[in-house]
Amino acid sequence: MGLNLTRSDARATAVLPVGASGEPRPRRNILALAVAVAMAAALFVVLPIGLAGQPYWLSVATNANALSVGALGLWLMFSIGRIDIGQAAFAAVGGYTTAILTTRYGLSFWLCLPLSATAAAALAAVIGVPILRLRGVYFSMITLILTEVTRLALLNGGALTNGAAGITGIPEAALLDTPLRFYLLSAALALFAALLTWRISASRIGSVFRSMRQNEALAASLGIDVTRYRVIAFALASGLGGLAGGFLAQSQQNIFPATYTISDSISFMLYCFLGGLDYVLGPLVGAYLLVFAFELLDALQRYQALLYGILMIAVILLVPNGLLSLGRSRTRR
Amino acid sequence: MSSSVPVKPRRGVILGGALIASAVMLTVSTVAFADDILKIGVLGVMSGPDAAWGLVSKYSAEATAAMYNEQGGVEIGGKKYKIEIDSVDDQADPKLAVTGAQRLILQDGIKYMIGPNVDSTIASAQPIAEKYDVMMFSYSFTRSLFSPPHLNTVLGIIPGYQTGPVVFKYLQDHEGLKSVAFVVLNTAEALKQRDESVAAAGKLGLEVISSTDTYEEGATDFFPVMSKVVGGNPGLIVLSGVSPADAPKLIKAARQLDYKGLLEAETAQDINILDQVAGDAAEGFISLGGASTPEIQSDYMTSFIDHYKKIAGEWNDEAGTKAYALEMILKTLQKAGPAAIADTELFKKTIPDFSAPNPFIKGDQELRYVGEAYFQQKRQIGLPMVINTVAGGAFKTLFVGTVQ
Amino acid sequence: MQQILFNGLVLSASYAVIALGITLIFSIMNILNFAHGQMFMVGGFAAYYVYGRFHLPFVVGLIVATIGVGAIGVLFEILFFRRVRRAANREENSILLAVGTALLLENLALFAFGEKERGVPDVVDGVLRVGSAYLPAGRILILAVSVALIAALLLFVQGTKIGRAMRAVAQDREVTLLMGVDIDRISAIGFGIGAGLAGLAGALLVTLSGVSAGMGTTITTKAFVMIMIGGAGVVAGSLLGAVVLGFAEAIGYALLPGSVTYLMIFLALIVFLIVRPQGIMGKPWG
Repeated sequence: MGLNLTRSDARATAVLPVGASGEPRPRRNILALAVAVAMAAALFVVLPIGLAGQPYWLSVATNANALSVGALGLWLMFSIGRIDIGQAAFAAVGGYTTAILTTRYGLSFWLCLPLSATAAAALAAVIGVPILRLRGVYFSMITLILTEVTRLALLNGGALTNGAAGITGIPEAALLDTPLRFYLLSAALALFAALLTWRISASRIGSVFRSMRQNEALAASLGIDVTRYRVIAFALASGLGGLAGGFLAQSQQNIFPATYTISDSISFMLYCFLGGLDYVLGPLVGAYLLVFAFELLDALQRYQALLYGILMIAVILLVPNGLLSLGRSRTRR
Repeated sequence: MSSSVPVKPRRGVILGGALIASAVMLTVSTVAFADDILKIGVLGVMSGPDAAWGLVSKYSAEATAAMYNEQGGVEIGGKKYKIEIDSVDDQADPKLAVTGAQRLILQDGIKYMIGPNVDSTIASAQPIAEKYDVMMFSYSFTRSLFSPPHLNTVLGIIPGYQTGPVVFKYLQDHEGLKSVAFVVLNTAEALKQRDESVAAAGKLGLEVISSTDTYEEGATDFFPVMSKVVGGNPGLIVLSGVSPADAPKLIKAARQLDYKGLLEAETAQDINILDQVAGDAAEGFISLGGASTPEIQSDYMTSFIDHYKKIAGEWNDEAGTKAYALEMILKTLQKAGPAAIADTELFKKTIPDFSAPNPFIKGDQELRYVGEAYFQQKRQIGLPMVINTVAGGAFKTLFVGTVQ
Repeated sequence: MQQILFNGLVLSASYAVIALGITLIFSIMNILNFAHGQMFMVGGFAAYYVYGRFHLPFVVGLIVATIGVGAIGVLFEILFFRRVRRAANREENSILLAVGTALLLENLALFAFGEKERGVPDVVDGVLRVGSAYLPAGRILILAVSVALIAALLLFVQGTKIGRAMRAVAQDREVTLLMGVDIDRISAIGFGIGAGLAGLAGALLVTLSGVSAGMGTTITTKAFVMIMIGGAGVVAGSLLGAVVLGFAEAIGYALLPGSVTYLMIFLALIVFLIVRPQGIMGKPWG
């Protein structure tokens, strides 16, 4: 394949590397393994031990894990060159799937979790075919509106969604009765999402995605079925959003139309950006940083939201390629 | 584009990891309980468009705490406890209500919490509060939140469905009211409120001229709906579920259509926006007020107002109502004994027979828990029901009633 | 029927001012101004303070709103967008920055203006009756001012040197640069005018629907809907989009429950875009 990858594309796989031909090179595979093990260690050993006696901070970390699952999905969309501001819609779909199935049909949460992801992915596949034809800002605008559409649909969903009153009293799930267990499940989901994303990015599909990001028309002219691949990307991305939503519905034991708004879609996008779009770990870093920063700023009360906004702009201006790019030496364009 | 040697990416990963780790390690668990400190939590919407609701709860609690702390603290079982207010902003977001409740209850060891202010956030915090035996003094019109199986939630305001019948009776007796019409915001909650008021009006023998006219959330044009209602010539038009921002526009439309009768809202309104937008048209408009007026307030209330103004900068009519929450908690704790500070079962046992002098009102009024008729259990603070009318751009007390 | 017609006209005219502003910015700088709704809100507050609190003439409020918010726009371009254009590898950073400015402006406004919803008395009192419709004088005024503004703006863009420069930049940035036009200056002016229009719309509509610090996102969403209908970056398209949305809202609110109205509008939009992705007048995707 004679595609001319840009430098940033090469770096896109630098942390979890892949060669130009799409096959992981053995030496770099070991690096990837090392990173994965380090990540697993951080998630399953360091954090639980560090936060052992503090169930509240453990639940904050649980939230960060769940949200990073959704952010990792968005990373896949960025890898095909699309800015998706509609992830909250699919989190809502996943959340309501879990809520309805557990409260009305008594299904076990463990079954509902993959079902939530599937429902979101299926919906995305159906909607994706028409809306992915839109490009650039048009696509972004319509995903923004997708979040609102979902909220309004849930509000007016009658007996199915219970309207503004939402669905409350989601029963506790078997085996999930302590904050630590919730945390471990969320960490497992985050690890799963990260590995899945990396595997896709390192595979042949990943190279197809990257070529589409470069130039969709060119890729099409080379015989790539861009329609099929972008729907795949959208379905995968949204499926991860649904997974996050399903988990969060169980951990909060309720869900309302107000739970997922446009600002949540924007938050998912921000977690992705802030970590750095060139790295698969970016969304995880971004989610952890922003979620913890928000809680830590609580002491500042009135100024919390304001400082959060200023922080955002400062990082965008000073570190436009994301925080993980800080370790990189500066290269001119 | 020149090529460059790819820099070791591990640096970036390590940096990111270090940032996460340090952020986590920065957290220090706050001291659970010093022996003589009583921590009270406040959870509510303190930023964004509805920030006034949560902020007033917070400032009211802080004012009461300041008053007690100046005397060395609140005395429970012979020992004095300094009161500390621990507040968290939930931004009216159910997700943040969950983490906020977790923070207050799991991290800070709170047993008594004031707020939240919105149905969805109350419903989000309840499972956690109920799991860890925490009492919530919350603000919502939804009855199910205060009825069994929810035994830990107390209502701190007077909902619209309680003011309706009381105001009708007063107007019947004092103004010879004979007929009433309703204009209602088209949401499930407001429609329910209207239905109850219609029933109440019927029971009192008032003629209900029209009760099916509605307007939509987000509508700005009220002439069409008001002209229909005004055309029926009722003695009183009730604006059910109206928001403080829409009330002045509805009032203005009615007056511009030459309506000469009375107008009422069964919920609290904002005098500033009434005056600014409706001006003279708002004269005589009836609404539910904060549970305190210059005519009935005691010296204790005056002191509370002073403390509140020092903390918040300016007085807010709603604070007259929210002043009661912390005061009620403390007085009940005093009756229940020091064991109740950590044991809310004891607190709940004290509720049914609780009675103390109402410190905010002149004279010998008793303060009790009420609400049995609405919630099958006494889970509401027995606030005085102050009904206001607008006179010369300011609220004036029309009368003071009570909840059943 | 007549009431719907009148309401639709008023909404369309005021929405057109919003749409024109965001279209201007997009066509000149290729940036989607996520903060457009927040700018609208700041304009509303400016009018609230000048006209509602200090009791100065409403016109003064309009002027203060336009110039004030326009200045914010220029500031954003100079301080933020210019830098990011030069520094970043990816074009996504412009969008991220735009979102960031929206967040910043909204939180600053919350901090400065408080959270309460505010309103002002009508500029003119009185109601006209035409057939079965009520025509409040205040709304007629809004309609008249909006139409006059749109006409003035169109003349400006067509007739003046700066206007022509802006159109040139919108058509082809590189060629215009080669012809010696100061792109930076034009960008700043363009952003300033676009922002000023948002502020002006906000000031106009404060008499109609009040203002609150959290209303920004809703207005931005409406602006997006309008340019999607009409075609992003095309002035005529934005006007068309405003008319469609204005009447859709008027009809919807008259016939359907509130939240269903916008659900229908959004769904119709999605269906429409499936058929015609570039909007009514947008350039077709190559």
